[in-house]
Amino acid sequence: MTVTEVSVGWVPVAAALLLVVAAAAASLDGALAARSAGQPLGGGLLTPVAETARLFGQRRRTTAAADLPLQRIGGAGLLTAALLMVAVVPFGRWTVADLTVGIVWFNAMDVLVWAAVWLAGWGPNSAHALVGGYRFLAQALSYELPLMFALTAPAVAADSLRLGDVVAAQSGLWFVVWMPVAFAVFCVAVAGFSVWGPLGAPIGATTAGGVLVEAAGVDRWLISAGRYALLTAGAAFGATAFLGGGHGPLLPAWLWLLVKTAGLLTVLVALRRRLPVVAPERFAAPAWLVALPLVLLQLLVVSVVVVVQA
Amino acid sequence: MDLSPLAARRTAVLAVEVPGWSRTRCALEEHVRHRGWRLAGSPADADLLVVCGRPGARLTAAVDHVWSQLPGPRARAEVTTAVDVPAVLDRAATELADGAAQRRDAADRPADPEPGTTATGNGDMGDTDMDDDSDDGDMGDQDMGDMDHGDMDHGDMDHGDMDHGDMDMPMPAGIGLAGGGDDDQLTDPDALDLDVLHVPLGPVLPHWPAGLLLHTTLQGDLVVAARAEVLLPADDSPTDAPVHGTPAGRWDAVATLLALAGWDDAATRAARVRDALLAGGQPPEAERLARRIIRSRLLRWSLRGLGRLPEGDAHDRLRHWLEGTEQRRSTELTAVAELVTGLDLATARLVVASLDLDTADRVTVPVEAGS
Repeated sequence: MTVTEVSVGWVPVAAALLLVVAAAAASLDGALAARSAGQPLGGGLLTPVAETARLFGQRRRTTAAADLPLQRIGGAGLLTAALLMVAVVPFGRWTVADLTVGIVWFNAMDVLVWAAVWLAGWGPNSAHALVGGYRFLAQALSYELPLMFALTAPAVAADSLRLGDVVAAQSGLWFVVWMPVAFAVFCVAVAGFSVWGPLGAPIGATTAGGVLVEAAGVDRWLISAGRYALLTAGAAFGATAFLGGGHGPLLPAWLWLLVKTAGLLTVLVALRRRLPVVAPERFAAPAWLVALPLVLLQLLVVSVVVVVQA
Repeated sequence: MDLSPLAARRTAVLAVEVPGWSRTRCALEEHVRHRGWRLAGSPADADLLVVCGRPGARLTAAVDHVWSQLPGPRARAEVTTAVDVPAVLDRAATELADGAAQRRDAADRPADPEPGTTATGNGDMGDTDMDDDSDDGDMGDQDMGDMDHGDMDHGDMDHGDMDHGDMDMPMPAGIGLAGGGDDDQLTDPDALDLDVLHVPLGPVLPHWPAGLLLHTTLQGDLVVAARAEVLLPADDSPTDAPVHGTPAGRWDAVATLLALAGWDDAATRAARVRDALLAGGQPPEAERLARRIIRSRLLRWSLRGLGRLPEGDAHDRLRHWLEGTEQRRSTELTAVAELVTGLDLATARLVVASLDLDTADRVTVPVEAGS
């Protein structure tokens, strides 16, 4: 299966698709929240639409002596990073940008999130938002290095950094089967850069909303939508790099990717209901002492297999 | 296209509990949930500001300041009994949906944010009197690190604390920059010598004891000094019985702690158990939920060792609430200030929630710890 680069005119379609899948994830989260509140699921499903209507009708809000340019750059940064991430993910036979360094590009975009969340926390000149920013950096220090090594594993196995090649290399066996540790670490890191679930401390209730504490109106929408978009982009990349991408029987390749992305996204959304938030300072020890050595070991195993097969 | 009916489905309510009116706040939370609305995490997040009870002068001033921080469209209401909650919410929702009134409100508001006054650091102790000749314009009166956050306390100006009114310093929007060094700097265990900020926690803060105002001095996110006081209600007493000390009160404490621990699902279910108990029922799901919460390894790992008192840590107290085996004890405000000193802001919040303070039977004596 070869991957062809589509014309620039398709970029808005790709962006819209990302937002639609992200909205579906928000709907699912809303429905699960409604269920735990004992409310009808239908109302919960409408959550992203209702929340968008609410925030678009709300006044924008500034704080005293805010660093507005940086705050706005940070607020828009999450959604931007997510859009740039999916640009390299092949949607079946098509891709927006067939980069030879697709995996590195994805990694670079997730590092962009560091700056975005930190600036969104720094900008409002508010103690709680600033602490939220600190907490994100502390958390990012824990997940980023394991994530980088986890991303290396599929690249080594496919002998390429191009995502099309990574998909092609999985025609026989999905990478998740023989690199489960890398996949698990990757999923945790997706929650990390999406500020999601157990890794949601930077926007947690202990800091009154952290990075989000002063955000209202469209600024709040951008950050919230950006988080769901990052979660979706992460799931789409995970489906591509570990779950075989478009490979599968009967259905067309693009539909397989959509199904796998939706499946991974559903698991990530559902897990949030079951788990409390882990404080970044507690997360550091297992990340550095358990996850990092394990993922390096995984990389060693993958490298040995590749060498032996060659 | 008018989006307001759609937006109203997700109305966010900032609840302010006045000491003594916990029953009213529980009723408010229940009705917010039944309408499919949600509780707001901060003033910026809120459409409605609902005060449960009759606040005293200083608490009123704090609520007024928080009101000025709601982005709008916005509505404000006060409710003093549990039975009045539905009617009050209906009125507030009508006000919120009244486009013309909202536009008038928006036109009357200043374009720029109002800088709040800040809580005092470890300054003098004698500022408990209601001293209202305070003067917003006088920079010399303001401490460093005014972050214009929702929890600013208007009534609490400290006239004695002049040591930061250094006029040589650049003061964007009339706010002193966060200071490094100075006589404020305390020994930091991480030796980072981060900026010193005076940040008041409360009295208007979700998942926080009613009326509690904790003046903290932060270095980075570390609380290096703290002073606690309780802002009093006005001189009438609530008609509803308090929930503290009842089984419902225990589930209320569980819901608060779990919400702070970020386990929204279990927190919502705990609040439902609480509301069922308040309605006089015996919720069958209580036992299963309690088992599920106690079994959670991640929660145990997050709470283990926090707020250690002679009888146990935060997780032990949570288990006692769930099993109904806790002993009623009264935590002094001094103990609160001491327990949070040296912790980071987020941990301090968890520790305060784990104490299940009953601020309704407390006098307003400031107590200090640290430094």
